[in-house]
Amino acid sequence: MSAQTINRRGPVPYTVAIVFALVFVAPLVLAILTSLKSPAEITRVLSVPTELYWQNYATAFERMGRSLLNSILITAPAVVLSIAIGCVAAYPLAFMHGRGGRFTYFVLLTGMLVPFQIVQIPLFFLIRSIGLYDTIGGLWLVHTAYAIPFCTFFMRNFFSSVPRSMYEAARIDGCSAASYFWRLLLPASASGLSALAIIQSRAIWNDLLFGMTLTSSDNARPATVAIAGFASSLQVEYGPLMAATLVSTVPVMLAFLIFQKSFVRGLLGGSGK
Amino acid sequence: MAHMPAKAGWSRTTLTFAGFLALPVALFAVFFLYPIVSTFYLSLHDWDGVAQNMRFIGLRNYWVLSAQPRFYHAVLNNISWLVFMLLGPTALGLLLAAVLDRGLRGERAFRIIFFLPFTIPAVAVAAIWRWVYEPSNGLLTTLMRNVGLGEFAQNWLGDPGVVNFALMGAVLWWTTGFAFLVFFAGLRNIPVELLEAARIEGATPWQSFWRVSFPLLWPSTIIVLGISAIDAMRLFDIVWATTSGGPAYASEVLATQMYDVAFGRFEMGRASAISVYLLLIAGVVIMPYIAYMSRRVADSEAD
Repeated sequence: MSAQTINRRGPVPYTVAIVFALVFVAPLVLAILTSLKSPAEITRVLSVPTELYWQNYATAFERMGRSLLNSILITAPAVVLSIAIGCVAAYPLAFMHGRGGRFTYFVLLTGMLVPFQIVQIPLFFLIRSIGLYDTIGGLWLVHTAYAIPFCTFFMRNFFSSVPRSMYEAARIDGCSAASYFWRLLLPASASGLSALAIIQSRAIWNDLLFGMTLTSSDNARPATVAIAGFASSLQVEYGPLMAATLVSTVPVMLAFLIFQKSFVRGLLGGSGK
Repeated sequence: MAHMPAKAGWSRTTLTFAGFLALPVALFAVFFLYPIVSTFYLSLHDWDGVAQNMRFIGLRNYWVLSAQPRFYHAVLNNISWLVFMLLGPTALGLLLAAVLDRGLRGERAFRIIFFLPFTIPAVAVAAIWRWVYEPSNGLLTTLMRNVGLGEFAQNWLGDPGVVNFALMGAVLWWTTGFAFLVFFAGLRNIPVELLEAARIEGATPWQSFWRVSFPLLWPSTIIVLGISAIDAMRLFDIVWATTSGGPAYASEVLATQMYDVAFGRFEMGRASAISVYLLLIAGVVIMPYIAYMSRRVADSEAD
């Protein structure tokens, strides 16, 4: 709203927006069209399918097997757990004064600079030795643990944007530190929590690395790993591959479209300070 | 701490806080500190991941790597990715946000379109762009042929000199949405009065953007740059799923090289040494950011 009143609109902004919108949409349109074409038509890239060839989707579901269900079973609990642990860590760090809190925060933040690839070898042996290799539970644990730095950072920022006077007033009224967290702080942080939920859903649903290292069968293999395997076979069939790809993008895309507003609001709560 | 009623109350609060921190800190120790120490330990050994004994070989893995062109190539690729991730998606995201902030008709639709690719998994981005870049019937080559530029079409993912630019194109499409949204939200947060004042003083839209809006976007900018640097160091999924580092290691980054050496060739010690190098580079690049962010905490506490 701010700038509308001030800047004159000319043809230039529209041209820029439309050109980039076309470029951004083209690969997705291509994927949708390809997923509905029969093998005979597939090489005619720019044409519209003469009839809708749903067989590609049937093949995609058949080849992905259980992996889609696994992805759901992995993502939903892992998102909740990772947010929970982020909140639990962020609360004391947002309200503690002094060196201890600041040092702990700094140490947890350094986790953000660790590229996750570098822990894969010890992690593989660790998870195998505690019997969680190729299990969904193992992926819950791993996704929760590796989310700690970012979730703590995000919620710590959000909690400190909640007015401090609220905390002090509640404490003077005799509210304990723990009940302030449950009864006042969490309900006041709904937009931050939902923004983080979307970020985490994307990160966990889209993960390839941990899935590759820590699963080996349909027991726990997520959709991303299944698609990667599917795509690297020698003779790539783009029809079923595009169908599988589109199916795998739907859940997170829908989540973003539905919760877009609270996502933007939550981002601002954390960064607008 | 003036509001704390008594010393007993203070220590109970401290205990509660310590209780809250116990589990996250324990998990951090097990999943971050232990594997890092263990990776360093492994990097001093020759081990295939199976044998009972690992052979201690000191720093030899580091020596061998530092003489390998394949390793240097991956380091250089990581550095070009870092530069690209800091500049590319950030600049395009800022441009799109500034354009949309002018109150275009259909703003909502544009916003969704610019943001959508960011929600897609890396493997899906890889699958889609492999089809876009397919050398004989792919979208890009076909489009170029149709407008008479067919002779400039390349074997996008098969030519070592082209593959990295092709991957960067895919990543630009994939990640710009995030920078765009953060900048867009930041622009909406700028008080109208400031822009009014600039206009009244005769600033052109161009001037008021660079002199007023952009400096006030600093909180958005720092988030976008920080996340980009972190993503550049973690770059793995998209490269692995699109080219697996090929052709002939041309698109390899340290993370994919490490994965190939560890889980493809079972040279755990050598792979760990690559990991340690990667951690050191990531530390040098990202530590200033972390220090800045945690200092910002101290500033905000002082308010």
